[in-house]
Amino acid sequence: MIECNHGTVVISDESDIIVARKTIREVSEKLGFSLTDVTRIVTAASELARNIFVYAGSGVMSWCILDTGNLVGIELTFEDHGPGIADLKQVMQEGYSTSKGLGLGLPGSRRLMDDMEIRSRVGEGTTVVVKKWRRG
Amino acid sequence: MADDNISVIKIHDVLLVTVPPDPDDGSVNILQYKVLKGMERHRVKGLVLDISACQTVDSFFARVIAETAQMVVLMGGQTVIAGMQPSVAITATQLGLKIGNALTALTVEHALHKIGTTI
Repeated sequence: MIECNHGTVVISDESDIIVARKTIREVSEKLGFSLTDVTRIVTAASELARNIFVYAGSGVMSWCILDTGNLVGIELTFEDHGPGIADLKQVMQEGYSTSKGLGLGLPGSRRLMDDMEIRSRVGEGTTVVVKKWRRG
Repeated sequence: MADDNISVIKIHDVLLVTVPPDPDDGSVNILQYKVLKGMERHRVKGLVLDISACQTVDSFFARVIAETAQMVVLMGGQTVIAGMQPSVAITATQLGLKIGNALTALTVEHALHKIGTTI
């Protein structure tokens, strides 16, 4: 049974990226992640929240604490109703970007987290779910 | 968006900027503008960016810093990034960030030495 303690942050302005970062820092510090893992999780949250703002204009980040009984982790979901992604393989390629960005957001965030899932439909929106488990 | 969030200080022939723990996009853009104005006004040798308090460096921040370093180089100066925390260095490397033309140093003191300033 996975227990779910959760919350949401609406992303509709540049300043909401900072709110998302602060929220996730607080939650992951409370969960007892190491400083390096907190930095990884917060940085991934920053990248994915910014993707919502840049590509969709607005959306929602939700966080959820995972507890399987012997493993504790955090799950972050980034959901928007923006233009969607036509070619998921392409956006996972290093350096691919349709904006002025570096094209690191998605592939980079996947490296920082333990798990990443993307669901997207053109014209309907995108959902990115990432997970990180606490070590030791 | 706080204009005074990040201050650019001139010490001898260097500009010193202390980046706050969690800089927002607006402050990072203002930082770039203030640095370039400061370079022009004070005719300094370069820029030292103290990021020892900085807890999060994402791709946006890295892009603006790399751009700023390149602009400072074009104006005839040098940029040194000083004091990156180990957790930030690990994360930035895994994310794949590049800092372009900027030099790096362990501390502000080392950074000033790299630019060739003696206080």
